[in-house]
Amino acid sequence: MRLIVEGVGHRYGALEVLDGISLTVAEGEIVAVIGPSGCGKSTLLGILGGLLEPSAGRILTDGAPPAGCLNPFTYVFQDFALLPWRSVAGNVAFALEHHRLTAAERERRVAEVLATTGLADFADALPKQLSGGMRQRVGIARALAVTPAVLLLDEPLSALDAQTRELLIEEFLALWPRHRTTAVYVTHNLDEALRLADRVCVLSRRPGRVREIVAVDVPRPERDGARLASLRDRLWRLIQDEARAADRERQPEILDAGDHR
Amino acid sequence: MMAPLRFRGGGFTIQPKRHTGWIAGLAVIAIWQGASSAGWVSPIFLPSPAGIAQALADMALSGQLWRHLAASLKRIVAGFVLGGSAGLAIGLALGLLSHVRAAGLPIISALFPIPKIALLPLFILWFGIGEPSKVATIALGVFFPMAIATYSGVDQVPRTLIRMAQSFDVPALAIVGKVILPGALPGILAGVRISASIGLVLVVAAEMIGAEFGVGAYILTAGNLMRTEDLLAGVCLLSVLGITVGFAVSAAERRLLGWRQ
Amino acid sequence: MRLLSIAAALALLATPALAEKTSLSVLKLASSGPVFLAQDLGHFAAEGLEVEFKFFAAAQPVAVAVVSGDAEFGVTGLTAGFYNLAGKGALKIIAGQSREQPGYKLSAYMVSNQAFAAGVRSPADFGGRSFAMTQVGSTFHYMIGLLAEKKGFDLSKNRLLALQSIPNMVSALQGGQADTAILPSTVAVPMMDRGDAKIVGWAGDETPWQLGALFTSPKMIDTKKATVERFVRAYKKGVAAYDLAFQKKGDQAATDKALDILARYTEQQKGAIAAGLPYIEPEARFSARDIAKQVAYWQAQGQADKSIEAKDIVVTTFVSSID
Repeated sequence: MRLIVEGVGHRYGALEVLDGISLTVAEGEIVAVIGPSGCGKSTLLGILGGLLEPSAGRILTDGAPPAGCLNPFTYVFQDFALLPWRSVAGNVAFALEHHRLTAAERERRVAEVLATTGLADFADALPKQLSGGMRQRVGIARALAVTPAVLLLDEPLSALDAQTRELLIEEFLALWPRHRTTAVYVTHNLDEALRLADRVCVLSRRPGRVREIVAVDVPRPERDGARLASLRDRLWRLIQDEARAADRERQPEILDAGDHR
Repeated sequence: MMAPLRFRGGGFTIQPKRHTGWIAGLAVIAIWQGASSAGWVSPIFLPSPAGIAQALADMALSGQLWRHLAASLKRIVAGFVLGGSAGLAIGLALGLLSHVRAAGLPIISALFPIPKIALLPLFILWFGIGEPSKVATIALGVFFPMAIATYSGVDQVPRTLIRMAQSFDVPALAIVGKVILPGALPGILAGVRISASIGLVLVVAAEMIGAEFGVGAYILTAGNLMRTEDLLAGVCLLSVLGITVGFAVSAAERRLLGWRQ
Repeated sequence: MRLLSIAAALALLATPALAEKTSLSVLKLASSGPVFLAQDLGHFAAEGLEVEFKFFAAAQPVAVAVVSGDAEFGVTGLTAGFYNLAGKGALKIIAGQSREQPGYKLSAYMVSNQAFAAGVRSPADFGGRSFAMTQVGSTFHYMIGLLAEKKGFDLSKNRLLALQSIPNMVSALQGGQADTAILPSTVAVPMMDRGDAKIVGWAGDETPWQLGALFTSPKMIDTKKATVERFVRAYKKGVAAYDLAFQKKGDQAATDKALDILARYTEQQKGAIAAGLPYIEPEARFSARDIAKQVAYWQAQGQADKSIEAKDIVVTTFVSSID
């Protein structure tokens, strides 16, 4: 499924956070959105998945969702958003319970995604018994269980330590070719963006506007420090000044922004 | 010159001491009995533990104990179920609906501190002097802490969990049942603990209204007749009920809230 | 030297001695009239006593205050609770106070409008009817017991409703939740006037009894007997003044003055006080036989401990018994 963003703007009262965002995400493409903190990345993601209503512009989709899709726009959250009173399997099942599925079909889906994310042995564990990395694997398994058309990942690795992050990136890269799900990946981490994305969309500081969209034209398996160095430099120069300016700004109070709890 | 490093840590941590509580309790009773037996404490001012035990034994042997306990428990359970479920419903509405919160919170804050005993003459007019007025007194006392505990419990549910459920298109009613209610359960159980104690306190007030039987009526009559042994025996019964309720709520918390960190 | 000490002694006698401080726990009711009169007319002062009044809202705390030592004397109605305290050797009755007496409208037999319509028209019809009272063991409880005895109905067939307070009793009677009650005239008459319930008789006319008494602790009698004697002497003068003003009624000026004093102490309207004045025996005597009957009644009802001996509760050395 293709995703078309047309002139999307958003404001929280008097505070303008996004302005004139236009972007097309092709079927099976991963687009990373980066930008300084407070540039409206998470707001944009909320709008893409229909959790927030944009103040201006519109979102269009093109094409049919994949077979067996239960929830076309599916999120993976920064803080995992797991129900602490449910087991791993229960959390995955939560995304399926309100759909008309046979019990067998539900169990099959749960077992399948737990197997692909390496959680099969942890099906009965409670979230509190898991490490951060395992919790985010549950978050990913839950997202995969509904066979999404578009995955919306909101800084999925930023709550994890560096080693875990590295492990999960590798797993994600191994997993993704199987489904080739269209994905929008919001991050403030340049390396994550460069390792995963087909294209990187750089937003300016608030109000967020598209500064540049950079294609990562190195095949994923060949992406290493040396091959990406010049691209990394270019992106860093693009966001450096914005980041510095944003860092020195006073933080406004934003009500109900995606990443504010 | 070598010297061993001086240890400066330790202390300031509370460790569970299982037997100290029992020993302290028994010591207090022993000293009390000793002072009474030695004649240092007049039985008019403070009856001896043996006297209180005798009063309890007399009550148990004559069968009055069960009659009083049964009468009071019926009222407490009925009042608790009525007031508790109403408080739960109103607390949920306060937690979830903006208009209800804006209208209801000031009303609840205004009515909560009213001493229920002051309303007894009105309750007699409204509900008569039979069981309804007694149950209503307890129900009213239970309602307010339950409503407030539920409302703040709902507020404690992380908003990201609700957004997550919405992102999977979970219907609103299922969000209340599967996310908000279990998430508010710690607050609700805290409310149960407080309101159960309040119910026990209010049984004395409720049984001011022409009750023939009941622990509260027994205490009141003992007070009116200046039978201090009986009075304290009744108070002991209430304490035992209170401790039992406390244990029951703790057991429920261990069973239902094991998922907490 | 001797001369000097004699002179000092004379000087001590000549200058008025510092008044001895004592205290009295009491209700703000017209039945406490004698102590208010004794205070206001200077009878306590004349005995060299400076009496501090400690006011309470119910009979029970008045007695408890004397037991706890918060007051040295108390004057109020006699309840089962009082006898249980007295039975433990904590209280002694030393003089009489109010009595229910024919012709004195102190406590009214009341019937709810509903019960009245259903045929409860006189105290004789109280049998089998629900009866509102303040507390188990209260004076109201005793009076319904006396009535049952006189009219020959079985009290165990009446539903006795202990409602703990007079406002609760009024509510129950108004709403018809209680068929009958006994209420003080100050409450009963306004209720009747408002049409909220009916008065069908007066306890004084049906069952006269010793309602109230002056009491103190045994310790006071043992250690400060002189003080007790002076207190009782002043109290008797207060009773005499009460008798003159309200019972003999020879002197209108004295009646008016006494009414003024009572109105000031009780903070009630003069009309209401005058309508509900109790009878008080002119020499502050009490009936020891009636006290013994009360104790026996409560013991029979299981409200008073069997070990209580009525003769140990009363002291007739300060004021003699009527019997």
